[in-house]
Amino acid sequence: MKKIFEVALGIVTSVGGFLEIGSITTAAQAGASFGFQLGWSIALGTLCIGFLVEMSGRFSAVSKHTIPDAMRERFGANFFAVPLIVMLAVSLLVLAAEIGGGAVALEMATGISFPVWALPVALLAWALLWATTFSFIENGVSLLGLVTLAFAVGAFKLHPDYGALVKGFVPTLPHDNKAHYWFIAVSVLGASISPYLYYFYSSGAIEEKWDESYISINRAIAAIGMGFGGFLSIAVLVLAALVFHPRGISVDHYQQLPELLTGVFHRPGFWLVIASLAVACLGATLEIALSLAYLIAQGFGWNWGEDLAPRDDARFALTYTILILAAALFTLFGMDPLKLTEISMSLTAASLPLGTFPFLILMNDREYLGEHTNGRVGNAVVLVISALSALLAVVSIPLELVGGG
Amino acid sequence: MKFGLIAEVLDEQLVDSTGRQAGRVDGIVLDLRDGKPPRLGYIEVSPITLLSRFNRRFARWYAFYDRKLGEGRGVATRIPWTRLQRKGPTFVMDIDAESTPIFALEDWLRRHIVERIPGG
Repeated sequence: MKKIFEVALGIVTSVGGFLEIGSITTAAQAGASFGFQLGWSIALGTLCIGFLVEMSGRFSAVSKHTIPDAMRERFGANFFAVPLIVMLAVSLLVLAAEIGGGAVALEMATGISFPVWALPVALLAWALLWATTFSFIENGVSLLGLVTLAFAVGAFKLHPDYGALVKGFVPTLPHDNKAHYWFIAVSVLGASISPYLYYFYSSGAIEEKWDESYISINRAIAAIGMGFGGFLSIAVLVLAALVFHPRGISVDHYQQLPELLTGVFHRPGFWLVIASLAVACLGATLEIALSLAYLIAQGFGWNWGEDLAPRDDARFALTYTILILAAALFTLFGMDPLKLTEISMSLTAASLPLGTFPFLILMNDREYLGEHTNGRVGNAVVLVISALSALLAVVSIPLELVGGG
Repeated sequence: MKFGLIAEVLDEQLVDSTGRQAGRVDGIVLDLRDGKPPRLGYIEVSPITLLSRFNRRFARWYAFYDRKLGEGRGVATRIPWTRLQRKGPTFVMDIDAESTPIFALEDWLRRHIVERIPGG
């Protein structure tokens, strides 16, 4: 009974925590510019993150190691420094985008310009990390994230052409605007396959003291949780495809996002989008800040844990404090959160193999996983999708820049 | 018992006698003895050792500031090999890390910053 409850809770938190500024924005841009045609990129991204999350939970449950811990141990400090620095740099931009997203939600709610909200959003996120426990953050904030289910309800109510939607899951070439098409596809992939998500999950498995008996629970949470999460991204794409695409409107400002739901729910739709954006961004801010602090603490062998009081892991607590403050500066100085989101999502895609390839090597190491090493399908899915994302990113980012963004 | 120094000792997690995570094996020090084979003397746990694996200037720069934290600082902490035991994926030392300079930075940050913030 306890385990059924854990599966349910795990799924609920995965669904509630799936959508964040990157997935909402990129799915909305994909739907607005290309209708259902980019559905495949969400499906591919969701498949890849589902496999990665399952692997990271299994890795920690069986080996009792987190991923950064094992990476430094197996590959040595000099190798580990590369994914560490790249992930820190890219995820700091993603963190900045999430704080920006929260600030924009508050701007839309109050009319007060978003840079003013940078520090209050950062302070709220920091205070939650400073004063609460891992379970509170994972369960409490992710439960609030279920407000994002409003996107799914909205999409159903608009009665999309399901035949056309299914066709979007098969990749096709666009008729025009090719560079932009691939750039959006890359951004969607980067938004779905967030490295912080599986690093966070791996540390969570250790914080919650998982062992081998959790392997099947972990599989259910990863498959159903990520699957439903991807379904919500598809719902955003459907809404944008039906609301913006027919009118030839592209998503260039956050202020356009409430329109996704105001057609269906009228005035409450506006508030549902604001609440979704605010909660999703706050949740992601917490997860990314923690995930990066875990990465550093585990890499250097410090005492770490969100359940410890800050005085018992001072370096860990100060690490997330500094990261949140640093990320808030981008919004404080008025950098456009939408641009920040686009840049950080495409860079995430470009840098994916740096994290996933060494992780795959660990996942095939019997010393860590015994009989629970990866199967061929898992290896192939992660290898192919992360290589493809990086390749597309390296080609499409310069094209997008040349094309004027 | 046989250990591969690079594969199985370097970069491994270190735990102290109270069960706290006390850093990683950042370096290995061998005793070179006349006419005898070298002997594993110490492991080093310190950002100074870690940084010197990348760039000696970074290590010197860190040591310069570390020296200001108190007496005995500015050099890498050494733990005698004889005080270590391998337990599963970690090395456990029979010393409380509080009695070594390993937690000096952690302690300094706790006293000077964390405890001054409400809730810390």
